[in-house]
Amino acid sequence: MLCESCHQKPATVHLTQIVDGKVEKHHLCEECARKQGLDVHAEPMDLGNMLETLKGQLAQLKAASGAAPEAGGAACPSCGTTRAEILKSGRMGCDRCYETFAAEMLPVVLSLQHADQHMGKVPRHASERLKTSVEQTRLRRELDQAVAAENYEEAARLRDRIKALPAGEGTA
Amino acid sequence: MTLAAASDSPLSEEAYREAFGVVLSSRVRLARNLRGLPFPDRAPPAVRADVLRQVREAAAAELPVQEILAGTTPLFRQRLFEEHLISRALLEERPESAVCLDESRRRAVMINEEDHVRLQAIRAGLALQEAWADANALDDVLEQRLEYAFSSTLGYLTSCPTNVGTGMRASALMHLPGLVLMNEIEPIIRGLNKIGLTVRGRWGEGTAALGHMFQVSNQITLGLPEGRMVEDLEQIVKELAVHEGHARERFRRERRRAAADLAARAEGLLTSARLMTTQEALERLSELRLGIALGLTKRIGMRTVDRLLLDVQPAHLQSLAERAMDSEERDEARADRLRAELGRRTSRRTKRNA
Ligand SMILES: [Zn+2]
Ligand SMILES: [Zn+2]
Repeated sequence: MLCESCHQKPATVHLTQIVDGKVEKHHLCEECARKQGLDVHAEPMDLGNMLETLKGQLAQLKAASGAAPEAGGAACPSCGTTRAEILKSGRMGCDRCYETFAAEMLPVVLSLQHADQHMGKVPRHASERLKTSVEQTRLRRELDQAVAAENYEEAARLRDRIKALPAGEGTA
Repeated sequence: MTLAAASDSPLSEEAYREAFGVVLSSRVRLARNLRGLPFPDRAPPAVRADVLRQVREAAAAELPVQEILAGTTPLFRQRLFEEHLISRALLEERPESAVCLDESRRRAVMINEEDHVRLQAIRAGLALQEAWADANALDDVLEQRLEYAFSSTLGYLTSCPTNVGTGMRASALMHLPGLVLMNEIEPIIRGLNKIGLTVRGRWGEGTAALGHMFQVSNQITLGLPEGRMVEDLEQIVKELAVHEGHARERFRRERRRAAADLAARAEGLLTSARLMTTQEALERLSELRLGIALGLTKRIGMRTVDRLLLDVQPAHLQSLAERAMDSEERDEARADRLRAELGRRTSRRTKRNA
């Protein structure tokens, strides 16, 4: 992902803000983030207590939904858990809840984890397509980093590996 | 995290101290859920029962010791908890919950905790990569029979968003009396928090960690491959262990009298008290352990201390005595056991326990 401000460098600073009850996401490179007055290194990587952070995030969302009460009643079609219940407990009801409540929960995950893409193990029984897609994303990120670090040899190697992946999900 | 992991090891006393003096054990825990089913807190009893059956079957070949926890006594669960084989959440009686273990108790699967599956692997000493390899292999076995909830962006989907991605929590159990006594632990904990690691007392919270026992673990679970997370953590634990070694050495040199007094006093209390609370036992055993590491206490082996750290816990004490005891009886039995194990006389059993 490229920086949304300069469109030159890879975005390494991911911000989630709630403005007027709406979730806004920003993806910036470190330099542009600094220019906008964001202290990149003071970013709350300090996770002294991740659960506290989660509670704070949910409280913010709850306050925001007070202004838009029609969103409070939505329920997961699979397990019936409502948005209000998730905001209260911080716990999802089932795997499907992550899709149902993606709009509010993805920013929460992002601000807790400082990442939005799984790079680890994939179940063996997952489809080839799924495996390829995770691998492709992982290699693309490594490629972005290699380019940013001006490590062109590594970048060329990564490009070859991406090309060698079986065609599945064409774009990441 | 089991303390027994190290004390079972066949090493000589010197090699034992070298291997386990600072890092007692390493653990990797993975959270998994079954696809399309509500998470345990949300699931109706029939679904939880189905999850219980499926996971038990999937684990049977690797983990033949299977204990259904619902309907057991609190003392039974407390004992498993003291060994770190079940979590605090399972200490409460949760419906359709179970734990499956292998004979060595180094690998375990909890069923219907906050997630359908929480599996763990423990290794003695600093062996996070090995613990990850064990957990990963166990996960592969379970996965042959179970279909996991997984998303290509968020990875393994968990009940709490703090665990998504790898679902992995890797941790090392560390004895850090040097850093505590030299007042260096607080800035270190703050520094580790800044890089996404958590430091918790093994038995108590915060910097006043009981018995100077700390658990250092990763907080972030998403965005890096498991191997990298484990490698990074192992590197930091190694550095921390070096700091601890230096702090101990400085404590012995710069505060020579205080160090000698601390070790001798701990030994004196442990070998003569007639009543001892869990808290006092853990504190004195920690000081004794430091004394042994610094060569100030030569008569007692570190392995004995490590076994006692587990055996003085309330549920272990009561199951050794094979009966329930009130709190004063426990304090007496604990003191008796400490004198029997650490005292100069060789008689190992007191009449009272017979
Ligand atoms: Zn930029
Ligand atoms: Zn749901």
